[in-house]
Amino acid sequence: MKRMNRKSLGLWIVLLAACAAVPFVFDPENSYIVYFLFMAFTYVALSQAWNIVAGYTGQVSLGHHAFFGLGGYVIAILWSRELIGYLDPVGMLAAGCAAAILAIIVGIPLLSKLRGDYFALGTLGLGEILRLITVQGGAFTAGPTGILLPSSSFNTLTPHYLIALFLAVFALCVTWYMARSKIGLALVAIRDDEAAAAASGINILKFKVLAFAVGAFLAGLCGALQAYYLFHVEPQGFYNLNWTLYPVLMCVLGGAGTLSGPVIGAVFLCAVFELAKYALPEIHPIFSGVLIILAIMFVPKGLVGLKLSPMRGRKKGAVKISEPS
Amino acid sequence: MKKSRVASFIGVSLLSLAAFFYVSSASIAAEKKEIVIGTPLPVTGVLSMEGNEQKWAYDQAIKDVNAKGGIFVKQYKKKLPVRLIVADAESDPGKAAAAVERLVKVDKVDLLLSSFTTNLVLPTSVAADKLKKYYHATTLFPELWLPQKFKWSTLFFFSVVKGAEVPFKVLGSIPEADRPNNLALLMEDTTDGRGLGGALEAAAKKYNVPIVLHEPMAVGAKDYSALILKLKSKGIDAVVMFGASQDCITFVRQMKEARLDLKYYHGYKGTWTADVANALGKDVQYVLADGFWSEDFPYPGAKELGKRYFKQFNKRSVSVGLYYSLCQILWQAIEKAGTLDGQKIRNVVLTTQFKGTTMGDVKYDQEGVALFDLGAFQWWNGQLKTVYPFDMSGGYKVKIAPPWDKR
Repeated sequence: MKRMNRKSLGLWIVLLAACAAVPFVFDPENSYIVYFLFMAFTYVALSQAWNIVAGYTGQVSLGHHAFFGLGGYVIAILWSRELIGYLDPVGMLAAGCAAAILAIIVGIPLLSKLRGDYFALGTLGLGEILRLITVQGGAFTAGPTGILLPSSSFNTLTPHYLIALFLAVFALCVTWYMARSKIGLALVAIRDDEAAAAASGINILKFKVLAFAVGAFLAGLCGALQAYYLFHVEPQGFYNLNWTLYPVLMCVLGGAGTLSGPVIGAVFLCAVFELAKYALPEIHPIFSGVLIILAIMFVPKGLVGLKLSPMRGRKKGAVKISEPS
Repeated sequence: MKKSRVASFIGVSLLSLAAFFYVSSASIAAEKKEIVIGTPLPVTGVLSMEGNEQKWAYDQAIKDVNAKGGIFVKQYKKKLPVRLIVADAESDPGKAAAAVERLVKVDKVDLLLSSFTTNLVLPTSVAADKLKKYYHATTLFPELWLPQKFKWSTLFFFSVVKGAEVPFKVLGSIPEADRPNNLALLMEDTTDGRGLGGALEAAAKKYNVPIVLHEPMAVGAKDYSALILKLKSKGIDAVVMFGASQDCITFVRQMKEARLDLKYYHGYKGTWTADVANALGKDVQYVLADGFWSEDFPYPGAKELGKRYFKQFNKRSVSVGLYYSLCQILWQAIEKAGTLDGQKIRNVVLTTQFKGTTMGDVKYDQEGVALFDLGAFQWWNGQLKTVYPFDMSGGYKVKIAPPWDKR
């Protein structure tokens, strides 16, 4: 390992250890930083989920809120029927798998027939379909009221925080692994030139669906965690388009198709949103909106691309899709 | 950007944020000179119109109590002024819960005042319970609130079962010869719409009024022509509708264009705001609205508050008295408890009769719920006239709407 890589790895480990120590240094019941980071890590995982589909594979999905909402509902339905418990890993896994299965079922027809804007619009409809199904779901989904979960289970935010941190790291590792493997080569080939990739023998649909399902799995996990935090899973909040739009913004602002772009974008935008709400409570959307426009105008390749040198540090056999070392 | 720089950038950003939140919290916690009340109101998004009206009422109540020197708190042996901090709930349940986190953890508020409507009040009640901060709530049906057995909040609102009886009482007050016969329910497809729809069906049975049509409506629909045709084909002459202001405005405009002549149009939630009157102009005449309060109510301060609202907005409000009285109850409870301890204040709320509020005398039960009667109002010459409760209408009786071409 090169000296620079070791240094970089060391810094990441220190950062991770520091993040893991936060709820033990700050009181999670009184300190806002714990809650802020909990949400930021959730958005890191969500942004990374979208990044796999759009940033690496070039398939712009606007349906991640559908997978997020489904993850939340899986937890709510299973927990309200006492099939799982509070912060149950089995429940979270079930939520992720349900989202991934839905992505495969929907992805096969959508990804084989639709491209570009049409695929984006197709996925956009998915969230609305699921929301309506949930609203009309009667006793099974508790209709528009949603499912209320036993909030008396809540003692501290620490486990939520650590799970969110785990999800963010897990999403990073999954993306890193996919980017470094042959899967990553295939995904980038599809993104850059689908016809050429097909001519090279890459099974286009298989890899597209794989990326879509992995992204959905991560989004489902995030939805599950949010359900465990809010204790009230209802269609308006859980199938809210913001669960797609914010990660898209974070990913684009940080740098789509890079490993650290969504991390930077998520932390940066969460901080901007929070500070704007704190300083300008009634006009914060205007401030945040202007800042996003300015950032996209002046840093079109994302914050990670500020000093990006595209050809530096490329490894033989590795895909140049994360920022160079 | 190099990987090491990325890690450093993220690390420095997180440290800066930690320092910001720590410093802001520490400076707030330093000295007790005021009572800090937080409220997760929707000041942006689809509920901002209602949220801002609620904020206006809270501001008035705080201005009035501070004009008297504040609230005497025995624990501090002095009167403390009240300061309101609004955290934007962004009309979104998740954001509303986050707003409570911010109020409690960053702003270090002493107590929480209500957000607006079921979708926001329910998650904020959950958040208040989690963070163990007293939440003085309203605008949520007790039928939804009670099963949760919240330990850190109380609720002051009307029962959906009783509230659903109001249109039938008003219809029953119309002379039989003029009374509409074919009633339709048009209910927004939301928690409140569904809940109210079911309660209206039950009330219709109780009052022996047949419901000819019961249709759900999507929020934000732009075209009601198919629905209006359906209403015409079934000979509907009375509609009770639950919808947002914009939906009610669109419906009335298209109803006029399609010449659907309703004798009675009673809107829940969406027909009482000043914006509806401004948007519909003279077509708002005869439209009925639900409402929590009126300046016509014979309660202390009601007329004065109504005048203040009229002076600023040139319209009457049917809600601000509720929010103002919510504050009055809280001020009395703080003074009686002699402390800012949330549990002690809640216990006082449960055991005290609060006198002289703009909603009259208020008494909570042991489960933490206080009820009031929902009102009905009719737009008449640009103002909302009280129709129900009948004993507070000042002699005004509901008027039947003539066909559009005879107006």
